[in-house]
Amino acid sequence: MMMWENIKNLFVGKPSREIAKGRLHLVLAHDRTGLDGGRLQEMREEIAKVIAKYVEINSDAVEIQIETRNRETQLTVSSAIQARNA
Amino acid sequence: MGRAIVITSGKGGVGKTTTTANLGTALAQLGHSVVLVDADIGLRNLDVVMGLENRIVFHVVDAIRGKCTVQKALIKDRRLDNLWLLPASQTDDKDAVTPDDMKSLVMELKHSYDFVLIDCPAGIEQGFKNAIAGADEAVVVATPEVSSIRDADRVVGLLAAADVPARLIVNRISPQLVKRGDMLSQADVIEILALELLGGIPLDDQVIATTNKGVPAVLEGKSMAAREFVRIAKLLAGHEVEAKESVGFFTRIGRALGLSASPA
Repeated sequence: MMMWENIKNLFVGKPSREIAKGRLHLVLAHDRTGLDGGRLQEMREEIAKVIAKYVEINSDAVEIQIETRNRETQLTVSSAIQARNA
Repeated sequence: MGRAIVITSGKGGVGKTTTTANLGTALAQLGHSVVLVDADIGLRNLDVVMGLENRIVFHVVDAIRGKCTVQKALIKDRRLDNLWLLPASQTDDKDAVTPDDMKSLVMELKHSYDFVLIDCPAGIEQGFKNAIAGADEAVVVATPEVSSIRDADRVVGLLAAADVPARLIVNRISPQLVKRGDMLSQADVIEILALELLGGIPLDDQVIATTNKGVPAVLEGKSMAAREFVRIAKLLAGHEVEAKESVGFFTRIGRALGLSASPA
């Protein structure tokens, strides 16, 4: 939910044509994966667990982004890693 | 052997039937023999858009069930020598027909006609599966709106899965709205759907007026939309679309849409 709010705010003030484009890129990326919000959340948590096995992370900081360009859909997982207290 | 082209969109009300009627009529004007097949069983409309509603005796389901020959179910358009309509049934529902039925029907038509244009129903269920079953290629119609483009994208995915190559028509573009920043441009739609473009039809009052009369816009000549339908028909049939004319056209449209001179 937070993510959608942020994205919405980003577009405030743009012409409606640009807003439509931005919304379509996101909606289509999700449509094309066939993943609904719940499954996506599940995947995020599972990936966070796997990463946490190897490096120290804050599992809430793991983010999944799905984006589409030219019918190719890219899934990006990003996470901040906590510095080692050597 | 002719070519079968399905006109589809996912979303309803974006101009599939109008596009089918106009492309078919334009192809016939260019000298090709054309059959228009209304695959929207239960909600037929291609007959009224063509102005042929008073001449229906048999329909596509009769032909498939062997109640009459396919030839007998065809209505000849009196305005042109080589244009026919195979109307849908209004009383059956979509599962009165199977994809295999459609495949053999379309195959039979392809033996006798240059073009078989199939007007697909809205949605992606049985009616859609029937309509694309016999098609060699697809024309996806989308208007520059979020809901239409989203549904078109679904359909593009399903067509790809069925190995039906698809090209795009962007319908009802309002150059004024695009310029004002309140409508997606033709280039935006191409970028989002990543499909090859056949053409962009401008929003045109003439289409509404001619449809009221049951006359495809291309028969009434010179409206902006009619000219673009004719250009697309030429493109589909592999006629030379004169370089000069086509550059001029794109330049005009491009300027109207507030783009540069390059045609996207």
